[in-house]
Amino acid sequence: MADHLLEINDLNVRYRMDGPDVHPVDGVSLTVDHGETFGLVGESGCGKTTLAKSIIQLLDSNGDVESGEIWFDGTLPAWTDERGEVRRDVVEDPQYPVREDGMTNLAELSLEQIRDVRWRNVALIPQSALNALNPVYKVGDQIVEAITRHEPGTDVEEARGRARDLLERVGIDRERADDYAHEFSGGMKQRAVIAMSMACSPDLLIADEPTTALDVIIQDRVLDEIKSLQNEFDVAMLIVSHDISVMAETCDRMGVMYGGKMMESGTTESIFERTANPYTLGLRNSFPTVEEDQEQLVSIPGTPPTLRDPNPGCRFVDRCPFAVEECRDSHPPMYDVDRALGEATDEVAHESACYRLDDLEQVQEDAAKEETWLQQTTH
Amino acid sequence: MARISLRYLAYRLVVSYFVILGIMTLAFLLLRLMPGTFADALVSPDMPREAREAIVEQYGLNEPLWRQYLAFMVNYQTGQFGWSPTYGTEVWSLIERRLPRTLVLFGASFIFGYIIGPLVGMYLGWWRGTKRDKSVFAAGLVAYSMPAFWIAWLLIWLFNYELGWLPSSYMMSQYPDDPSLLAPFEQWTWWRAIVDVLHHIALPLFSIISVGWVGAMLVMRTQMNTVVDSDYVYLAKAKGLSERTVMIKHAARNALIPVATQAIVGVAFIIDGAVIIEYVFSWPGMGALIVDTVLRRDYPTAQAVFFILGVLIVVMRLLTDIAYTYLDPRISFEGGE
Repeated sequence: MADHLLEINDLNVRYRMDGPDVHPVDGVSLTVDHGETFGLVGESGCGKTTLAKSIIQLLDSNGDVESGEIWFDGTLPAWTDERGEVRRDVVEDPQYPVREDGMTNLAELSLEQIRDVRWRNVALIPQSALNALNPVYKVGDQIVEAITRHEPGTDVEEARGRARDLLERVGIDRERADDYAHEFSGGMKQRAVIAMSMACSPDLLIADEPTTALDVIIQDRVLDEIKSLQNEFDVAMLIVSHDISVMAETCDRMGVMYGGKMMESGTTESIFERTANPYTLGLRNSFPTVEEDQEQLVSIPGTPPTLRDPNPGCRFVDRCPFAVEECRDSHPPMYDVDRALGEATDEVAHESACYRLDDLEQVQEDAAKEETWLQQTTH
Repeated sequence: MARISLRYLAYRLVVSYFVILGIMTLAFLLLRLMPGTFADALVSPDMPREAREAIVEQYGLNEPLWRQYLAFMVNYQTGQFGWSPTYGTEVWSLIERRLPRTLVLFGASFIFGYIIGPLVGMYLGWWRGTKRDKSVFAAGLVAYSMPAFWIAWLLIWLFNYELGWLPSSYMMSQYPDDPSLLAPFEQWTWWRAIVDVLHHIALPLFSIISVGWVGAMLVMRTQMNTVVDSDYVYLAKAKGLSERTVMIKHAARNALIPVATQAIVGVAFIIDGAVIIEYVFSWPGMGALIVDTVLRRDYPTAQAVFFILGVLIVVMRLLTDIAYTYLDPRISFEGGE
């Protein structure tokens, strides 16, 4: 088993447009470990969904991975021996995108090959799971379809039984497998899609805005459901959400994206305890939390950049109340936050792309004040 | 699976019955609104007065219009379509002989049009924006804008006059208007008869389809465009299904539902087209009959043909409605209204 389940290195995704190309993901790196939950958070249009889609090549037809690697611990059935280990000759042969430690570069796979990875290794709960069930087929049959696609030898009756088990597992009556999606309530549809995502016991589950379309009470239940399934099936998760409070509740580690760049990443605990990026600070201000006594929610003034013609400086510079001259010249690299705070550790647990890490405490203090952000609007 | 209750079916049948009564009334009125009267066609000025009056009385034309109407409605509902003065035979025996021929032409056009149209629409919608999409789409619009009878003339010119490959008229080489549809089958071997019919049907069929497929194609293409971006197609891709499976099983299957709606209108258009095309190709069916009898003021026959074609459309609409519930599980006709 490799160190990580997923290792994304310097990923660039490009969308071909009528004008210049757009890069919704611009040099992003991240890792997800086996069984871990990683959260990607950011405003709409920051590239988080594009990043998630690019893992299994589900980008729109005008988008592709321009450069970078998406290493994944898990190989195609054709490349493994009877014990499930990657064959030596595959690793050694440079024509296969397989690394020494057995990881495969998903970005290098053909469409034909990535289809075998989809759902079997990497399942996905789409952004609008409520409309993700095909209205003309029975819900159970849609789960059966996933099973028989990836386990070709499976008897249909057996697959039906498994589909029913999965539905029952998420709290839906076995008999409802014969119903159509329109006969399900919103929460049931969501749970049915979650059940479907577990049909082939994937290694990684991508949940794209799993709770956005649901009301608060159902949200909570769905998150619990996902978490308990995650434990049962021992699956790693990549949760994509604009809601930073969802991250706090569910994720072991998280990354904050803005304008196609990773702004801050690290353990959820560390990011919430010592937020080290003005963007993350602003994002936290604009969401209600249960623990803190916020008088008022403060939104970040302005809107995310268009990505069409990014400025050479920090992506957040135009909306950042703490921007200095340096910020306008180049986008900051990821700095080790612990080291900047003088608590160097062996392993990098928390990184932030900000030039102001030196006086982080001052930044954090000012960010908590409403007027800091309000001043910015007149700017 | 059947999501149609008997009660709903009964309700639909009752409604259809009233629609048919309406068609009857129209058939009766339309022909009487035409200039001239039925009697003009039967009598001539040089007849003796008594003979003229006898004929007028024989057909009940001296009765007031409302009594004629009542008698007409009663007769039609009891299956009596009257006597054709121009053919000198029962109207029903004319229809009986000609309806199957029309159904052969219309049925084949409908089936081919609604196989080709959605199939082409599926590919165009899936590969939207490509060169192939744009050119086939434009070709479809051109075909759609052309009158079917004009295309028919072009086809006759090319395949009959210039190339001499296909016959330009009739349903069979011999017995073009033989009372029995089966006569050639008795005298020829059956396969020769079928080949002969296919040979004759090729041009009229192609003329109708060349226009008839476009309506379904346009709807299917637009629907595919919408469905391609739907979340369930996205999920189907994420499940690792092949492009073909996603396109046919998940996208096209859903895009087909509005095509059924279009088919309800399309049925009428194809019957319409078949009537004109029959005349162009001297296809001995209902279309040629209606044109012929209207021109000769043979009211009993003309109104009966008009009526039967109307009933055909009503029946097709009922069938499409039933097909609908099988296409879209969200639609159910379980409760009566």
